[in-house]
Amino acid sequence: MTHARLEFPYTRTTGPVIGALLTAIRDGRIVGSRIGGRVLCPPMEYDPVTADALVGGEPELVEIGPGGTVGPWTWVAHPTPKHPFDHPFAFALITLDGADTALVHAVDAGSIDAMTTGMRVQAQFAAEPRGAITDLWFVPEGHESPSGREPHGGDTPPVTSTEHLISLEITEPLLAHRVRFAQGLLDGKIIGQRSSASGMVFVPGRGYDNLERVLLTEADDVVCSDRGSVSAFTVITPVQYYGQQETEPYIRASILLDGADQALIGVDIRDIPVAEFRVGMRVQAVWRPEGERDVSELDNRWGGIWEHVIERWQPTGEPDADPRALEKYSF
Amino acid sequence: MNASTAHKRYVPARDVAIVATAQTPCSRSYADTEPSMIMRCVNSLLDDTGLQRSDLEFTIAGSCDYLSGMPFAFVSNIDGVGAWPPVYESHVEMDAAWALHEAWLRLQLGDIDVAIVIGSGKSSPGRPREVYALQTDPYTMAPLGLDTISLAGIQGRALLDAHVATEADFAEVVSRSRRSALANPNAQVARDDTIDALLAEPYFSAPLRRHDLPPISDGAAAVIIAAGDRARAITDGSTVGFSRPVWIRGMDHRIESHHPGLRDLTQSPSTERAAIEAGVHEGGIDVAELMVNYSPEEIVLRRALGFPSLATDDTDINPSGGPLAGHPVMATGLVRVIEVANRIGAGTAHRGVAHASSGPCLQQNLVCVLEGDR
Repeated sequence: MTHARLEFPYTRTTGPVIGALLTAIRDGRIVGSRIGGRVLCPPMEYDPVTADALVGGEPELVEIGPGGTVGPWTWVAHPTPKHPFDHPFAFALITLDGADTALVHAVDAGSIDAMTTGMRVQAQFAAEPRGAITDLWFVPEGHESPSGREPHGGDTPPVTSTEHLISLEITEPLLAHRVRFAQGLLDGKIIGQRSSASGMVFVPGRGYDNLERVLLTEADDVVCSDRGSVSAFTVITPVQYYGQQETEPYIRASILLDGADQALIGVDIRDIPVAEFRVGMRVQAVWRPEGERDVSELDNRWGGIWEHVIERWQPTGEPDADPRALEKYSF
Repeated sequence: MNASTAHKRYVPARDVAIVATAQTPCSRSYADTEPSMIMRCVNSLLDDTGLQRSDLEFTIAGSCDYLSGMPFAFVSNIDGVGAWPPVYESHVEMDAAWALHEAWLRLQLGDIDVAIVIGSGKSSPGRPREVYALQTDPYTMAPLGLDTISLAGIQGRALLDAHVATEADFAEVVSRSRRSALANPNAQVARDDTIDALLAEPYFSAPLRRHDLPPISDGAAAVIIAAGDRARAITDGSTVGFSRPVWIRGMDHRIESHHPGLRDLTQSPSTERAAIEAGVHEGGIDVAELMVNYSPEEIVLRRALGFPSLATDDTDINPSGGPLAGHPVMATGLVRVIEVANRIGAGTAHRGVAHASSGPCLQQNLVCVLEGDR
């Protein structure tokens, strides 16, 4: 099985309405907004019935709760890692005292037997708020935590942005053509696929010929040369975004292997000076010693783990290939 | 809102028909790439119609990169259509039923006659429950990990609290869907379960049991649509595909608030409105395929579409088993269209309705009316 984690760290500005809600929650209070004669929670930036902008452009905030009444609910018997609690709890539509519409949120009720439609709940506020909706949760009335925070004044700046790390786990078996490709790398061979329909050699193979729309099989596997020509490259100066591990500029190159009709893309070049690197340069793979080749990070996706099996690409010293003939092999 | 409301609905200027359909079986984990699933569907459509790829004047797909967790997966999906020469392409990050809507409108412009619509999804690599939570409000819901199963549970409870349905009604939907799926070679869950046996199962997200939820499926589906005489020419004399065009008589989609607290979860006014705009009530309905991802949704949808009673209405509802028997996310809604079209194309039904939904608790709904020539 291959495993990957896809993460997107979002920081969102809140605007004056959601910002007011998250500021209030941080400070141990809850607010709704009065729109069209009703008090809505969550407060809205527009009239949800007419879609009109707010009168005067400013929300009319109303403090509501901290008590509320449970409407329809579900008992989350098997929480996900993204839920507010790691033990069973309820999600419920909760109409806070003073509000006309319900907020969907979590009730830490201990047991499904404690849950009924119409029950009373009380808001609880995080001891260490983060300025997010998760600073709030609910418990059945009479079960408030003594360590719960009391409301306090807005002596700190209002919440103007809120952070949400999206993190997805991806687990899947390595597909059959990737298994053969991985075994080839361990054996010091680059396995591609030749389509008899188009005659093209694709490397790495993808299990199909995307020109003639033909599925390819093991019978179409071919061993490609580990020597080729640089067909395109870029010099990347790392920006220090979330998750960035690079600090120094480096080259990412496309290499058209001899006999192939598709370039390897995203090949790391670390030891050839940028000033010397060029399209047309002839290079050859220098494999890591057998036993030191690692394909454990190979998955079904794009890009390579070339550096885990090929130590580096070494200029061969041959005369350059014609750059014009390489133009169509950038990717 | 009801059928008698004085309102002139949009009637398409140009007759457009579904002329061929294809779908992969739904599987818990499909052991090949998403483009290869698409390629199988595209090749099947071209074989059935005798069309060349160059005859496809517009290509549109519905898919979601978050599902398999591969950024720009929708780009490599085009490999399944054939990467060269370039296609005139569009994409929706929505169920492919909405891609069909765009293609149908595109053909209304009159300059092209043939389009292909593709939906595909591999849910197996990810954790769908965590993925779908990301479609909720990013400030007040997504950080709670508020997932569609939990929201469906809330909707189910709303139906129980309002005495619109019972848990036995939910189980009846599941029992009937799974039994119908026994005749569907593409179904993933097909079995004969009694209502009592289903009710004896433990809750997963009360009041829902695991069988009230759809299976996790990989799969793809595609259709070719064509305008007027071109549609007739493609189906005339066809021996493997449709023997007659399946005309799209109307199609409409409507959306409600993303805040469940602002909605009455026992009703689906967006479905009611879309049904009127699509012309559902302008003739009899032989067959209806509804995107019932969670069993309580069928009860809401039947009420909204005007066949609330299984006892008195003879419309055949979800003869394929529906999404409870197979849920290839991003293709599930298009498969509803396909299941209706296949029955009309084969002549076993004359007029039918297909429904697709998007978002939690039937937030957004698309209704499509299909009809064969007499």
